[in-house]
This record gives sequence, C-alpha cells and structure tokens, in this order.
Amino acid sequence: MDTMHSRAIALALLLAGAGGAAPARALGPGGALPAIAAPRLADASSRLALGELRGSVVYVDFWASWCVPCRQSMPQLDAFYRKYRERGFRVVGVNKDVAKADAEHFLARVPVSFPLVADPGDAVARAFDVQAMPSGYLVDRKGVVRYVHRGYTAETADELRREIESLLGDGR
Amino acid sequence: MRASLAVLALLAAAACTPVAPYQRGYLARPDMAMEPAQAGTAKALEKTYSAKEAAFGGASVGGGGCGCN
Repeated sequence: MDTMHSRAIALALLLAGAGGAAPARALGPGGALPAIAAPRLADASSRLALGELRGSVVYVDFWASWCVPCRQSMPQLDAFYRKYRERGFRVVGVNKDVAKADAEHFLARVPVSFPLVADPGDAVARAFDVQAMPSGYLVDRKGVVRYVHRGYTAETADELRREIESLLGDGR
Repeated sequence: MRASLAVLALLAAAACTPVAPYQRGYLARPDMAMEPAQAGTAKALEKTYSAKEAAFGGASVGGGGCGCN
C-alpha cells in the first residue's frame, strides 16, 4: 500500500475514533472525591453536594432500576447505613434511570433510607467515570477514595463491611 | 478508489457510539429489545415486515412472495 493510501486510512481511523466518547480517567483508590452537586431524586429543587459530606466515611453508589445486582446491593447498603450512621457513615445513591418513574417503582419494592440523587446529564457518572453498574466508591473522612466496588455479589457485602469498619476506626 | 471507499466506510462507522455502562437504561427499554416482550407484538411486527417487504414466508411460514396469505 502506498503512503497516500495509508495516510487516508489513518485519517479515516482517526475520524472514526472521534465518534467515540472522550476517554476519562477512571476514579480509583487514592483519587479525590469529586466536588460535585446533584439534584435530589425526590425533590430536584434541592441539591446535595458531595463536598458537604467531608468528615464522614461516604459510600457513593451508582444504581438503576434496570441494574439486576442493585436489587441485592440496595437493601444491603441500607442495612449498613442504618447500622453505621451514628458512627459517621453516609451513603449517597446516584440514580441512573432515564425515567424517574422507573426509579420510583424500584424504590416502592426496595425502599432505602439513605439520600438519593438524580444525574440527568450524566455529570456525576462522568466525574467518577463509572465503568460498571452498580459501582460504589468508599471514601474516607478526608475525602479520599479508598475502595472501589464494580458489580455486586455476596462477597462484596463482606468486603464492604470490613472496609467501612476499618475506615470508621481510622479517625478515632 | 479503494482508499476513498475505506474512508467512506470508516466515516460511516464514526456514527457508532459506545454506550457507557451507566447509560444502559436506554437499552433496557422494552422497545429496544430484539424480540418485543409484549405478547403478540413480535407477530404483528413480523407480519407488517413481511407484507412491506413482499416476503411472506420468509420468516417461518411456508409460501411464496405473492402477499396473498
């Protein structure tokens, strides 16, 4: 193949690649909790800023009604929230449903007590560069991401319990 | 010539977009399913498709393309 052809194909490949999403750096352990605010799911006029949660151990969970493992993770996270809330543990559920009604239908069956936010423009999901559903980010009291959970199985709950307890113990 | 075809093909491919894991709610809609979930919808779609394409029997029924069955 001559040079011109290779150049044309390289250019075309480049253009084809441009159609894809811009690669963001996935947020991992050691990264800072993005300082981002999102409207609350129940009342979009009120916003919850993740920065306000500094000082607590925070678990930011991305969930949706169409996410099958979320049916397991949501009640479990709620149990953790109820158990450790008094020791300074917070959970924020970021809903990724397209229609709010779907989220409400899910919550009618799987009610949770921790705060939930909506993410209509994907700004929160992009800030965390969510790679799987559900994804959970356990953040320490200083606002540093310490553990990331992608997907959810029975083992995740055990790991999470150990991690929450160790982080809650850190600041004492 | 071949290079321009390749360019065109790849430009067309640029229209493809990756769906982020958190955007899969769009793919989870019932009307995005390969086989519609509602009873009877698949059959109705197939009948319409066959009639429009003059290809009765192309899917599962025996017969020709006369559009008469």
